[in-house]
Amino acid sequence: MLIAARLVGEFFRKFKMPLIVGELIAGILLGPSFLGTYFPEISKWFFNGTGNVGIALNGLTSISVIMLLFVAGMEVELSLIRQQGAVAFKTSLVGLVIPLGLGYFFGRYFYEWFGETNANNILPFSLFMGTAMAVSALPVIARTLMDLGLFRTRIGMIIIAAAMFDDLIGWLLFSVILGLMNKSAGGVDFVYTLGLTLLYAVGMLTVGRFLINKSLPWAEKNFTWPGGFLSISLGLAFLGAAFTEYAGIHAIFGAFIMGIAIGDSVHVTEKTRDIVHQFVTNIFAPLFFIAVGLKVNFILNFDFKIVLIVLVLAIVCKLVGAGLGALWGGLSKKEALAVGFGMNARGAMEIILATLALQAHLIGEQLFVAIVVMAIVTSVMAGPMLQLLLNPSVNTLKNAFTDNNSSGQKSE
Amino acid sequence: MNFVENPFKKIAIAVAFSPRCEALLAEARQLQDKLGAQMVFIHIGKKTLHQEHYLKHLIHRFGLDLPNNKIIWEEGETVDTILEVCQQEAIDLLVAGALEKENLLKYFLGGVARNLSRKVKCSMLMLTEPNIHPTGFKHLVVEGSDHPKSEYTIATAIAFGKAYQVKNIDIVQETDLSKMALIRHEELKEAEAEAIKEEFVKEEDHKLEEILKCNDVGGLTVCTERIEGKPGYVISKFAREKNADLLVLNSPDKQMNLIDRVFPHDIEFALADLPCNLLIVQETQYLL
Repeated sequence: MLIAARLVGEFFRKFKMPLIVGELIAGILLGPSFLGTYFPEISKWFFNGTGNVGIALNGLTSISVIMLLFVAGMEVELSLIRQQGAVAFKTSLVGLVIPLGLGYFFGRYFYEWFGETNANNILPFSLFMGTAMAVSALPVIARTLMDLGLFRTRIGMIIIAAAMFDDLIGWLLFSVILGLMNKSAGGVDFVYTLGLTLLYAVGMLTVGRFLINKSLPWAEKNFTWPGGFLSISLGLAFLGAAFTEYAGIHAIFGAFIMGIAIGDSVHVTEKTRDIVHQFVTNIFAPLFFIAVGLKVNFILNFDFKIVLIVLVLAIVCKLVGAGLGALWGGLSKKEALAVGFGMNARGAMEIILATLALQAHLIGEQLFVAIVVMAIVTSVMAGPMLQLLLNPSVNTLKNAFTDNNSSGQKSE
Repeated sequence: MNFVENPFKKIAIAVAFSPRCEALLAEARQLQDKLGAQMVFIHIGKKTLHQEHYLKHLIHRFGLDLPNNKIIWEEGETVDTILEVCQQEAIDLLVAGALEKENLLKYFLGGVARNLSRKVKCSMLMLTEPNIHPTGFKHLVVEGSDHPKSEYTIATAIAFGKAYQVKNIDIVQETDLSKMALIRHEELKEAEAEAIKEEFVKEEDHKLEEILKCNDVGGLTVCTERIEGKPGYVISKFAREKNADLLVLNSPDKQMNLIDRVFPHDIEFALADLPCNLLIVQETQYLL
């Protein structure tokens, strides 16, 4: 699986596509969509989804998703969000509220459009649709800002901070939705769950973060480093995941919050951070994304109408939300448009969200396929759209940015 | 024009009748001599005859009883009242003694000096070990990060360094490349990532060179250093490792509160555990 994911991923990278596209397509080729349909015997021999193999594959996917969310958490920097202040808050608020509101509205009142028939499950479903529209892909945004020459500017940091805040709220909300689902399925009491979750989140982001920061120099002195960091941080991520799972909320939230608490430490250097990133994104991310392709028949469940609706809704939500947010945050119209396209890329996070929703029976396979297609299309279109906006022969946007930046520096 | 001839023409000393009071006034005398500044002594508390006589005695003893200098006694909440006086008197630099490290509870609740530094609208000098026989400053570590305020901070530090005839000034550029991991793992090869990193660094180096070109450093030895890591934390660590006696930082962009201690603002890393004396530079913002 790993080799197939890498080979196909690298093939698509040659065409300037993100690795994740190739990894997903590798899964589709090896899964029921292709190999399972045309060569069922080989498929059965390779990927027998029942018995121990099935359990192992599910276990691997769960571990991968916990690690992916842990790494996503490490990217969130609370002090940066705080320091960027009101502007970042405004940008994130609009960028969050509009997609969330529109997603919720369409999920609530037009759920049939998404192939949903069970009206009893409508609250968590519509909340999920809102979250799915609001979630962003921080790495794609970072890359976009770098292409715009805004990555290390104040504006760039505002957008990064806003996206971090959106992700924090988005994942919190999604965890609550899964908690709601658990409650409706007769699970742990929801108030108890919410109380424990809030206690965990607040505790980890304050006292826990402080203790981790104080302990890391001792660990660095006494353990092999950065190997020791890898073991400790991932161990803590699994502990956090286990706690939130016990509390009745999904394990991802525990790992995500632990990622923030650890990633915020002043003792985590760029090199250490990079090692964790490389380890998770080159081993566990491909395994997860290829497993996504193995789970669902993408050909059978491809409904053009649902795909189109999800795609249009997602693009409109983010362009309007993030664009207006950036505009309110102080960017020009052209800058806001570029940011809108950058933040429109949903990337890996959206696919993780959809996979977990599918596992929780919150969405059907047709909507799942539509969301995966939307995540790929929005990620792929971000590059060309920005290139179009940035190409000096087509548009003078890049020069405008450069001029704005330099004059901004001088005037200040 | 970046050259700052004398950034501190009017200096306020926050006086408390503590064991370090004499040493603080001795340092004030040196500041007066080196910077040729007008001095204002502020004490917040009930005025008693004994304390008044004692303060006047100290001021006289250290030769601070010049006609332009004055003593202000006020009653009220210490931090807010000092800030009000600074505002009324259009102070350029507020000086206060500060412990190197406060216990955790006091740090979060906020001691007087630290709370002043978080709210004051002029520059502030926090002296961790004021000496009855001041030795001045010999090694300055100055923030040179890519921020609009750095230009003024560097110019101020150079002017201050010249007045005190310091031996070394290290201008430190803090480079936080933690966000690079975001981009690198997805799409970049090692060499591409390094090239981007170098491009960032080159741009910042160029800006710093331009700032230094505009400043007359005289006979000072000015070095530039680049350190990677969390801004605020790494420069404090650097100042401690280099045994600097004055760390010069940009003022925060906004007034800080408890949340900035829980989710530390860059400057809070220095305030949590002062590596040496600390000068927070701010272009005076008073509207007169």
